[in-house]
Amino acid sequence: MKKHRPHTAPLPRPRDRWQSILQRWPTVLVAGYSLAAFSWTMPGSLFPPKPIIDQVTGGPLLLLGLWQAWDMFSPDPRTTDICVEMRCTNRDGTSDRRMLSDMVAMGFYERWQKDRWRKYFNDHLRLDDERVLWQPFAEYAVRRLREEGEDPVLIELVRWWRPCEPGIRPELRADVRMTPWQSYVFHRWGVPREWGR
Amino acid sequence: MTSLWTGITGAAAAFDRWVRDPIDPRPLAWFRSWLGLLSLVNLWLLWPDMPMWLGNDGVLPPAVHRELMGDTRISVYMITGSSDAAIGLIRGLGLAGGLGLWLGIFPRCAAFCAWLAAVSYAYRNMDILHSGDNLIRIGTFFLIFARTDGVFSLPREVQRRFFPQTGPDADAHSGVVPAWPQRILQLQLCILYLAAGIWKATGPTWRNGTAVGLVLQLGEFQRFPVPDFFLTPVMSQLMTYGTLAFELGFPVLIWIPNLRLPVLLAGLAFHAGLDWVMNVQMFQWLITAYYLLWLKPASSSPASSAPRSDPACSVRPAR
Repeated sequence: MKKHRPHTAPLPRPRDRWQSILQRWPTVLVAGYSLAAFSWTMPGSLFPPKPIIDQVTGGPLLLLGLWQAWDMFSPDPRTTDICVEMRCTNRDGTSDRRMLSDMVAMGFYERWQKDRWRKYFNDHLRLDDERVLWQPFAEYAVRRLREEGEDPVLIELVRWWRPCEPGIRPELRADVRMTPWQSYVFHRWGVPREWGR
Repeated sequence: MTSLWTGITGAAAAFDRWVRDPIDPRPLAWFRSWLGLLSLVNLWLLWPDMPMWLGNDGVLPPAVHRELMGDTRISVYMITGSSDAAIGLIRGLGLAGGLGLWLGIFPRCAAFCAWLAAVSYAYRNMDILHSGDNLIRIGTFFLIFARTDGVFSLPREVQRRFFPQTGPDADAHSGVVPAWPQRILQLQLCILYLAAGIWKATGPTWRNGTAVGLVLQLGEFQRFPVPDFFLTPVMSQLMTYGTLAFELGFPVLIWIPNLRLPVLLAGLAFHAGLDWVMNVQMFQWLITAYYLLWLKPASSSPASSAPRSDPACSVRPAR
């Protein structure tokens, strides 16, 4: 029968204990980062300590570019098809329309390369909450149009949308669905003649 | 109470060993190389639109950017100020960093360059970012601290093939390395899936099984054609609940050694399917780099028994 040896090792002195903790910095770092990243990515309603942890760890995460979000299509995916259009009217009365994020109309490579266009125009510029982006984009559009030889006097930004119909059927896919689109001009800028010249 | 305390201390000790016991550097080197190549593709896709997204005459002038951001973060803009020279710098850093990571040329320096490029364009225009950018920033940041020099490396291969007599001993750098950068990135992947799964589980359409069907019908995300039978309520339920099961199951099942390979293969199939049906640029590709961290090299490293005198890399003598 085995006998357990009595534990005779002396208790670690405070100095040794600190050394032992210092030697474990990788463990503390990995555990701390994991907790910080988990808290940052969680919905506040499901993780009560989130405000406290984020307050402590948010600064370093933002400073070092380690902030993150993994909530695509959450809590629910969108139920409308959307895209953004830029309309321009030139001094000679001609007009031009450019769909900025009509992904279905793009070829396979173009829609892959322009995924950031979808992010910018559909997820941000389109929204009333992000109206601070509207005028800078209109001004950017004027600069580009002038480079192309046009002389715009009016820039309009238009949001297009159509709701998805209830149900899941092949004929409801965006590229074959016949639901009518609706539109709304959300920003209009009459370009002063001397602007930017 | 005593048994609970024993369990907690035992788990903490096991976690400590998992983090601090040194590891074979090859999975980290595979990760570095694949992430580097994919970051180059990401840069190539962003390149033509950089003046529009990041330039002073672009969609976000410096004054509006300052108003939106409010704070300063580490980026090349700390050096260039609001100058368009930053675009050239970001391109150069991204190119040098991506190539260095891919080919194993000064990999830690390359990781720093790639990270600085990624944080810089993220800081300048946050509205253009996709989830793949998160994976690049996080992956390159921790690669700055990872020792993968000389493993899965072009200069090393050239030296080995053409100048075998010169330079340091071939195995000098390919022994064991500190595990913590790899461990943090492995946990990052689990956090990603867990967070994504928890967020989805809060949504009514994810709970009633219509979420994936709705996404497949949206025009924004359509990519390659999907067979009609996928767009039925039954298939939608199957794919919606399958997505939830996978995302919530991955962070648990990946720790079971016998299930690790099937879980990784299921994940590859999952992301390949998503990449076929959904246009989300690079995310589905970039996440595969993190899968490489879970692979175990077929043969152990020749120097795997050689300890390093580094607190990040503790080796316990055999008893």
